Amino acid sequence: MEFVKRWIFSVIFLFFTSLAFSQWLDINSISIQSVITEEGGPVIEITYTLNDESITQDNPAYVFIRFSRDNGKTWRLIDPAFLSEEGIGIIESGGKKKILFWGSGEMAVKNPLFRIRGIRMAEIPPGEFIMRSFPAGGKDPSISERPSNILPGFFMSINETTISMYVDFLNEIGKDGSGWNERMVNEKRCGILQSGDEGNFQYTVIPGRENYPVTYVSWYDARNFLKWCGLNLPTETMFEKAFVGGIYLDGDEKKSVSNTNPKRKYPWGDEVPYQAGIYRCNYAGDEDGYSNLAPVGTFSKFSSPYGINDLAGNVSEWTLDWYSTTYHIGLDGFRMIRGGSWLAEPFACDAVSGATQFPIKESSIMGFRGVYLIE
Amino acid sequence: MGTLNRRQFIGTIGAAGAFSILSGKASKADESKIKVGIMGLGGRGRFLTERFVQRHDIEITYLCDVNNRRYAYGREIVAEYQDSQPKLTQDFRDMLNDPDVDVIVNATPVHWHALGTIMACQAGKDVYVEKPLSVNPWEGKKMVEAARKYKRVVQVGCQTRSAPYVKNAMEYVQNGHLGNVHMASVYQIVDWKQNVHSTEEEPVPEGLNYDLWCGPAPKLPYRPGYWYRDKWDFNVGSIGGDIFHQVDLARYILDVSFPQSAFSSGGVYHFNDGREIPDTISTHFEYDKLVYKIEAAIWAANFKKIPTSIRDSDQFPDWEFTSTKIELYGTKGFLRLGRQGGGWQAFNEKGEIAAEEYGRQADNIHIENFIDCVRSRNLPNADIEEGRRTDLLLHLSNISARVGNKKLIFDPDSNNFKNLKEANDFLRRKDRAPWLIPDKV
Repeated sequence: MEFVKRWIFSVIFLFFTSLAFSQWLDINSISIQSVITEEGGPVIEITYTLNDESITQDNPAYVFIRFSRDNGKTWRLIDPAFLSEEGIGIIESGGKKKILFWGSGEMAVKNPLFRIRGIRMAEIPPGEFIMRSFPAGGKDPSISERPSNILPGFFMSINETTISMYVDFLNEIGKDGSGWNERMVNEKRCGILQSGDEGNFQYTVIPGRENYPVTYVSWYDARNFLKWCGLNLPTETMFEKAFVGGIYLDGDEKKSVSNTNPKRKYPWGDEVPYQAGIYRCNYAGDEDGYSNLAPVGTFSKFSSPYGINDLAGNVSEWTLDWYSTTYHIGLDGFRMIRGGSWLAEPFACDAVSGATQFPIKESSIMGFRGVYLIE
Repeated sequence: MGTLNRRQFIGTIGAAGAFSILSGKASKADESKIKVGIMGLGGRGRFLTERFVQRHDIEITYLCDVNNRRYAYGREIVAEYQDSQPKLTQDFRDMLNDPDVDVIVNATPVHWHALGTIMACQAGKDVYVEKPLSVNPWEGKKMVEAARKYKRVVQVGCQTRSAPYVKNAMEYVQNGHLGNVHMASVYQIVDWKQNVHSTEEEPVPEGLNYDLWCGPAPKLPYRPGYWYRDKWDFNVGSIGGDIFHQVDLARYILDVSFPQSAFSSGGVYHFNDGREIPDTISTHFEYDKLVYKIEAAIWAANFKKIPTSIRDSDQFPDWEFTSTKIELYGTKGFLRLGRQGGGWQAFNEKGEIAAEEYGRQADNIHIENFIDCVRSRNLPNADIEEGRRTDLLLHLSNISARVGNKKLIFDPDSNNFKNLKEANDFLRRKDRAPWLIPDKV
């Protein structure tokens, strides 16, 4: 930025190399330095390299930064309001990136630590789509009308959140055991081990499970993970639009790419998941090659019109939406999950499948992914 | 202050209730695990699946739902706790025909409770059936007949009847601590104003056997949602569906069964969404020197069911605004009791607390009692006959409103109204073939 004249104030607080976890993007060569602006105040300049040339406008990424002032004991997300330049939020190219952090007063500590992580995303442009399901299966008494089928633009993670991503999260916030439960040890249906003592728990992925979707996560766990990233859960409406595509795949502003099948049953079209002996998603049984979970993106040839994987099968996914059956007032109401799973019948992997679950439910057939809203 | 000791109360549990009258075929599960088939995988069905499957003495052998989109969620629960995989079916008759099923858990919508239970009894299965029991008085009577004829254990899912705190309250009242109880009020005052039923007709979703879902009820055009809860052919209504518990508890505590008369005031006052069953109703049942009142409304601001944070804790609810409470008025005292683990408090003539006890929910105890009875062939805590008696009060309440809020005198033996012929029109629905409940079950 032109108005910033820089003096090297102090060199390099820290180099923090790439977080080599499955499904985090390859980010390394991180450098941090404080510079004095013309106006006299310091600003922190953060540079990093996103080693992924496949990141483009059509294949963007979401990047976020977490920061520790106490040598890694606690971490927090840096509010994007304090950041500028092109290296934060939605990124549309690989290579060297720069971020300016205007909260430099917080840097008056000896060894500040930064962690930069990136997730591959797909853009769902603003516009109309055909919603065939009724949110909450039509059973939410608070919904007496269909929601708008015209959504603003948003970005959605291409893949379900993986075990390795979740373990990374746990190792930051789960020292007291929060976010983890014993079921996650199950090596066929999850695969996260806990070690150490309370107050200093550590987490590891059972080798080979890194790239599988995380399961046994409650709605609260999912929300906490995404809040940690600066993301959110999709609403049911967002989930369904990501699944079937808008009337125009490039959005209602451009309207140049029509969706050939806006009422499609499945992300790839109307063919049942096993049609002609070609298996298009992970559903119940093992004929698709997986009797349990499959690594995320296994069926990427059969992604949604926006290139989003596994919306149909593998794990059903938490959404933000509530289901407030009046019979359960007084309880923390049900939440909605959408999509099929590795235990679902093939046709129950379609665009309208969903179910209610208590938010505390931890299940081997339920995971999640994040969305980022375009302001 | 003579507050009763909780341990003293609990110490008396189990002394009663072992009435062995089901001398029929002992379950083959005597020597092995009891094989359970789940009928209905909605929220309640999944809840019960999870409670049953965690027991070491049962095996879930079948999961059944007319909507096979629901299979995954049932299978997943079972897979967490048992190695063997249950069979899956949309048609519950597959379970009835399979000797590998001893027990049917009927967690279907209400319009399937009666026929589903009767057919299960005919097939030699014991049944755990959710409340409310039936759509009309005739169905309830036939359920009892089937259970007795085929010597089946049939437990109704009014689980609070198995709660120790309720039993203790019953003993307190029956021991005369309140003096003569001449009036009882049973409440269902809730704020469900958002519970509208105005969904539109849609194509039947793939995977749903809608014809089977309708079963004996009319096959209306498909609509998502819970609109059927307030249609006469499908249910006893949003009020009846929930107040069943309190009505049952009050009846149990007071030890009363069939009333001498019933008289209602009420109707659909608040909602304008096509519902048929009253959203507001007050019913007076006359017993021998006892007026037993139902006060129910589902649009009332401020009132709430007992929060989860209270239900299993040493706390009493905010009685004033508690939706689901019972009040008993005696010549020597007053007692109030909350459903869902709300506990109870009794006051003496000076207005002092004479006895009190915190409550706990009793789902697991109720299931335990059922399984025990499947093995022993004893009558369970909420035997079908008790369920039918409670259910009948809801029907009398509704029918009185349906005939223009007239007083009704019902004969439980003939299952007819003695004083008003037009009321008899509502004793039985015309069932949809082939799902007919036979006159002789």
